[in-house]
Formats: sequence, C-alpha cells, structure tokens
Amino acid sequence: MAGASLRVCAHGHPTLGQLALTLGLLAAAALAALIVAVALGSAAVPLTDSLAVLVGGGDDMSRTLILELRLPRALAAFATGGLLAVAGALMQVLLRNPLADPYVLGLSGGAAVGALLAMLAGLGSALVSGSAFVGALTATLLVFGLAHGTGSWTPSRLLLTGVVVASGWGAVITLILSLSPARQLPGMLYWLMGDLAHARGPGVALGLLVLVCLLVVPLGRSLNVLARGGLQAAALGVPVRRLEWLVYLLASLMTAVAVTTAGSIGFVGLVVPHLLRLVLGNDQRLILPACALAGGTLLVLADTLARTVIAPEQLPVGVITALLGVPVFLFLLHRSR
Amino acid sequence: MTQRLPGVVGLLLMLMAGLVEQAAADEACAIDDAEQEICLTVPAERIVALSPGATELLFAAGAGEQVVAVVDHSDYPPEASELPLVGSHDRLDLERLVALQPDLVIGWVTGNPAGQMERLERLGIPVFRIEPRTFEGIATALERLALLAGREAQGRLAAERFRQGLAELAARYADAPPVPVFYQVWDSPLMTVNDEHLIGKVVTLCGGVNVFGGLARLVPRIDEEALLVADPEVILAGGRGEANRRWLEDWQRFPELTAVARDNLFFIPPSLLQRPTPRLLEGSRRLCDRLEVARGRR
Repeated sequence: MAGASLRVCAHGHPTLGQLALTLGLLAAAALAALIVAVALGSAAVPLTDSLAVLVGGGDDMSRTLILELRLPRALAAFATGGLLAVAGALMQVLLRNPLADPYVLGLSGGAAVGALLAMLAGLGSALVSGSAFVGALTATLLVFGLAHGTGSWTPSRLLLTGVVVASGWGAVITLILSLSPARQLPGMLYWLMGDLAHARGPGVALGLLVLVCLLVVPLGRSLNVLARGGLQAAALGVPVRRLEWLVYLLASLMTAVAVTTAGSIGFVGLVVPHLLRLVLGNDQRLILPACALAGGTLLVLADTLARTVIAPEQLPVGVITALLGVPVFLFLLHRSR
Repeated sequence: MTQRLPGVVGLLLMLMAGLVEQAAADEACAIDDAEQEICLTVPAERIVALSPGATELLFAAGAGEQVVAVVDHSDYPPEASELPLVGSHDRLDLERLVALQPDLVIGWVTGNPAGQMERLERLGIPVFRIEPRTFEGIATALERLALLAGREAQGRLAAERFRQGLAELAARYADAPPVPVFYQVWDSPLMTVNDEHLIGKVVTLCGGVNVFGGLARLVPRIDEEALLVADPEVILAGGRGEANRRWLEDWQRFPELTAVARDNLFFIPPSLLQRPTPRLLEGSRRLCDRLEVARGRR
C-alpha cells in the first residue's frame, strides 16, 4: 500500500511554463476565494462597499465588518488551510504512507489536550492558543524522542510511535470531555472540530506558510527521490536522515501553528495533497506550493459557507471541508482509473 | 334479627366505602413535564434530585429535608452541596442511586439519559420529570413537588411569592420604552437565546427586545458580524462563574456598538438566570434594573 499513490506519475516532470501556469491559476482561484469571503457574511455589505473598504474608503460599519472581522478571518483560514495541506503532503512523503496526515503522529492530540485543559481552567482565548501550541510541541518532541530511541530508526517506527502516542492523547481528550461541566462542552467540541471564529491576527501563520514554501521548493528534487524510498534516495546521494528530520520538524511546526490558529480542522491535510497528485502528478516542486494555494482556497471557501449557510447561526468549518472535498476527491479518483 | 341484618351490611358497606375514599384522598397525584402522572400513597420521604435546578426547586418547595442525594453542581442552597452525590446529570451512578432506596426521583426531561430513567422505573422507583419552560411552569413545579413531598402549604406559598414578584415586574415595565438587548450565554462559541428560552422571556418581561429572539433554536450559535449589524443597546453577559468581566471587556473592540458607546455592558450572575428556579425572580429584578439604567442613558 505504501507508496502506491505516491509513485511519480506518468505525467513526467512539468516544464517551468506548466509550473507557472498551474500555480498562476491556483493563485487566481485563491484570490477569488478571498474576495468571495470578504464580500459575503451575515450582514449585507454591497460588493462595491467591500472593495471600497479594501482601498481605504467605506463607512465605519463596513470598515469594522471587513477589516476587523472578515479579512483577518479569511486570511487566517487561508494560512491554516495552506499550512495543513503542505504539512500533510510532507508527512505523506516522510512516512511513505498515503494515509498519513498532519495529525497522524499525535500532534493535534497534544494540542487539543493543551487547549482543553486551558479552557477547563477558564483561561482566555490567547492562553488557550498558547497552551495548544505548547501541547503540540510537547507531542512532537515526545514522538521524536521515543522514535529516535536507541538508534535504529525507520519511517514505520516513527509512524507506529506516533499512532500509539496519538491514541494516548485521544484517551486523555475523552477523559477531559467526560469530566468537564456540561456548559464547557460546546466550546470544547467546536475547538476539536476546528473553528475559525476566534482566529485573530493571521500574521504568524501566513508568514510561516510563505517561509516554508520558499524553503521546501529547493528541496523538491530530494523529496521526489525520498518519496520512492529511503534506500534509493541514499543511493542517489540524498542525506536521508537529515532530510527526514527536517521534514518532520517543518511539518510539525506548520501543524502546530495551524492547530493553534483554528483548532484541529480535519480532512484538508489528508485529501488536498492527494487531490492535487491526481491532477498534477507527484512532483514535490509543484505539489508543495500548489498545496499551499489549494489548501488555503478550500478552507477559505469552506469557512465562508460555514458562517453564511444558516446565518446568523454558525456551523463548524470541518464539516464543510469534508462535504466539499469528499465528492471532488471521489470524482477525481474515479476518473483516474 | 333478620330485619337488622341489611342494616349491619349497609353500615359495613358505608364504612368500607369511607375507607376507600380515605385512601383515595391520601393519594397525591401530579403530572410531570413529560405528561406522566405520578401518584404516591404516602408523601415521599427519600427524594433524589437529578439536576441542580430540581434540587433548588425541592428546597424552595420546603422539601429540602427529604432530599437524600443530588448530582454534581448542585450548589444552591449551600446545604445542598453537602448531600451525597449520585454522579452528574448526564452520567448517573445508578448503583449508588438505587442503594439509597429513594421513594421518589426528580428527573430532568432532556438532561438525564432516557435509558437510565427507564431502568429506574422498571425497578419500581417513581420518576417525576421536570423541565419548566415558562414562569408558570416554575410556579407549578414548586406546587407539584410540594404536593408529592407532603409540603403543600409551603409549596403554595413559594409559588405565590414567585408569581406575585413577576406580576409586579410585569406591571412596572409593561409600558416601558423597548430596549434592544443581546444576552450572551457563552463567548467561544458565541451563543445567545431565542424568545422561547426562559431568559428570553425575562428580557421581554422587562421591556427588552431580544435582538436574536426570532431565531429557530433555543440556544443559537451566532457570529460577531450578526451582532454588529443587530447593534443592541444593551449587552448582558452570563457565562462562567459569578464574576466575569472579561467577556464584556472583549466588546470594547467595537466602539461603534451602541451598547459599548453608552457603556451598557452588564454582567448578571448566570445562576440567577440560567436555572428554572425561584431565584429567577431575583435575576429578573436585576435584569430589569439594568435595562432601566440603559433607558436613563439615552
């Protein structure tokens, strides 16, 4: 099973022109999604007013709605979706397993335990985020330390360690949920399902997304070789161990920031990379930046739907990402046979 | 002799009929909020309350001494928190509950697990389910619980006091100028109540207009944007604990809100509003006061 969907596809390597065209189209889609997100909401703001605000005009109410609520939230959604999709693609290469996603090694579990404990203690949203970040880092270091162990290290050892640690976090989460007072539960469940309502200040997440894209694209060729297997990569002169740890730490950092911004939003990190591979082939130099754009676009659209479908009432965004993504993915999978 | 026999039989019959009548008069019957009738031949002596609200209602109805166990978070009146626990309202310790040999269990229609309630009934323990959704529902709950516990006089008194207090508020604010109000149940996710909720009814009673009153769900989850558009004149926060200013300070981010501009951000202890008990009267008084303050700032 491992590697089955990671095989470098018959499409061959894209030329620079194809690469620019694909990324250009995805960037245009992302921009369109952001405009839709800023234009739609439970309050009706005419599109002309929304655009006026973006260039510095508009009345006070529109300015507040767009600059303080919709735009930061849309950018946070974009950054989170992008980070999760890139982290997912990296994890799939690292573990040589198509079922890998950013959360498979228990990082979201650690973050969730941190966030839920902070909520239980009645801390404010900034401290909840901080606690989630600490939880995510703890989980990363724990798995790193345990899998590193006494030397012999393989992706399957890392995967097993991560999966077992993730089950442990899962048990702790269930324990916290069953011991928490009923009134706290909605907040906790929304966090677990992923929710962008309280994502403020998308700066860190966006910055990290850009930085990682610049960093991993030059590594694309080595990652392509790594996806075919560690032995092959080593034979071709790739410093496998160092590359693997770099990929692990980068993916973990991205996931930690994403989870800290918006809770554990599922699905994006698993399916967006596969979706793009079905269409674009498996060249990491193209897939990784494409993941950043497509993941971001998907989450921006999903979040816009989540907050407008039954407005003013709100839905959890994770539900919408799955509802949008599952049919698209199945269609592409069916077509690719 | 033969002529006197019918007389004796008649006397006996009359006596028996009297006894039967006597027994019927001793049987106390009440209909619960799930439309089931519960009849007790003797007043309940060992009562278990399966929600914090039920505990408060029992104490208010004068049956506090008969309560032998409660569930988690039953913190009012203070003596209730010293009673033995039988788990939390959504996860009951049935074993401990049954071992206490209660002769009446006060359940919560939507809050307790239905399966566990049916189990109790199969064991022959009468379960009286309450969940008042109106002011009158609270008053009759006091009377019904008092009846089952043999405390009718106290129950009636408590119910009357509650009805009278609310009637006074209703009379005082019947013609007060309307005030658009937002009631914040929780901050993350942001949740409010509709007009069907008891808190929504208190807002209406005080001459307020709940800006999200028309939504379909009892406790809808909304977004900040909708609140900015609704622009309430008063924001009332309940929420965590008994002294929570943080949620209110959070609204300062939007100085263009009327409620923020006029400093009409008020906290009302949630235990006074969020439980369907006689303390709701005190919560209603405070809420009405706050709206009156807001009217003064126009």
